[in-house]
Amino acid sequence: MLETIFIDIANWIRNLLGSAGVPALWNDTVMMLVKLTAIIVFILINALWLVYMERKVAGYMQARIGPNRVGPKGLLQTTADIGKLISKEIIIPKNVDKILFLLAPVLIFVPPLTIFSVIPFGKNMMAIDLNIGLFFVFAIASLSTLIFWIGGWSSYNKYSLLGSMRVISQMVSYELPMMLALLGVIMIVGSLNLSEIILAQESAWFIISQPIAFLIFFIAAVAECNRVPFDLMEGESEIIAGPYTEYSGMGFAMFFLAEYANIMIASAMTTVLFLGGWLAPFGLTFIPSWLWFFVKMYVVIFVFMWLRWTYPRVRIDQLLGFGWKVLVPLSLANIFVTGIGMYIYRALGW
Amino acid sequence: MFGKGLVKGLNVTWKEFWSKKFTVQYPDEQHTKPPRFHGKFQLNSDACIACGLCANACPNGVIKIESEKVNKKKYLTKYVMNIQYCLFCGMCVEACNKGALRFTQEHDMSQYFYKDIPLVFVDREAPKPDPETENKEKDDDKSKKAGKAPEKEGQ
Repeated sequence: MLETIFIDIANWIRNLLGSAGVPALWNDTVMMLVKLTAIIVFILINALWLVYMERKVAGYMQARIGPNRVGPKGLLQTTADIGKLISKEIIIPKNVDKILFLLAPVLIFVPPLTIFSVIPFGKNMMAIDLNIGLFFVFAIASLSTLIFWIGGWSSYNKYSLLGSMRVISQMVSYELPMMLALLGVIMIVGSLNLSEIILAQESAWFIISQPIAFLIFFIAAVAECNRVPFDLMEGESEIIAGPYTEYSGMGFAMFFLAEYANIMIASAMTTVLFLGGWLAPFGLTFIPSWLWFFVKMYVVIFVFMWLRWTYPRVRIDQLLGFGWKVLVPLSLANIFVTGIGMYIYRALGW
Repeated sequence: MFGKGLVKGLNVTWKEFWSKKFTVQYPDEQHTKPPRFHGKFQLNSDACIACGLCANACPNGVIKIESEKVNKKKYLTKYVMNIQYCLFCGMCVEACNKGALRFTQEHDMSQYFYKDIPLVFVDREAPKPDPETENKEKDDDKSKKAGKAPEKEGQ
């Protein structure tokens, strides 16, 4: 019952529309809209919660208790913050490219929303079951760089420009080891379909059979999300806030929430690719699969925050040097070793 | 080994995550203050003899005293401290002979309006001189041959 609760709800709506005599095409359209709304609500509520969680984790790691005044245990803190930001003016500085400047915060939520449509939240729980899901996710995820660039360029501010150029150089140098690390997983599974990748981890998660790939992927994911220690793009001591410098009010809030949506994607992908997705470990199948996915995702998110409040920021040359001189060769070696291992396995006849 | 320091750092924050928190929930709980804390002032208006030593001792001219003579005694009618200029040096408290002016542990003196900032300890009308007491005092003075001042009320 609990396992299939969301699928049951979807089927119930479909049957309701079918019995009301709605044509099949419209039925599908309505179903797609319902799924999309569910995903948007999921992302927004999680983004709000994650801002709160981030502040709480930060506080706890610094012997503080974090926000605790607005609402019970400070739970309404982010809601209040967003309410404040909505009510504030969006200041448009002189000389900015007005259209692009206002377009960037609107577009920033498009890549995360698109990606979430293919992520399997549970058994048979994905909005679209795409054959090239993995490829799709990373193709779309790279698009957010473009939007940071739009925001930084249109701001007509040297700090914004520097910040967005850093985003691009970071993305170019970390997308490569990320993809190369994933090749090991793809070689083993032989498919780009996310559900098949999860099902291939039934006996052992890929974190066990591909530990190097997991490490490289995780480091690259942190860098892709522009999180500490790789948050050069907004390094506040050097370039104020990078592309966000000129944004105020809800424009800034959109960038801020999108950052957390990106973290959710990175941790969801880590879960899917290396932590067995919605598969229950140790045969604990009485807990529904979507809850397992959620728990694993949040464990990864916690590690993200843990890293953020432990490490200092790296320099740009250290970042690029690490990406090209350490991660890329390491991921290439991983592919090589994986290939040899697969060959040996096949030769042994397992 | 490469990465050893990173793990060590993670360990530090992990331990800190579960450790006891130092935050004092300010309005609900407060730090204990030292006994000689220079906080808000407190005036025992009955003990005050309106001598003006505190006003003289104040480097910033914070204290304003007004008094009237009633029955040959100084009667304190107004005692205002413009606390916005006060530097809490404690000269006034030291200067007070009668121990009427004291520091308290209270430190929250913020106000919503500027006009509410000054501490008004005494703002009252002087009582009308009582002819009976006045005569009696005169008699006392005669009998003691203007030696001692009469004993203060309420002391």
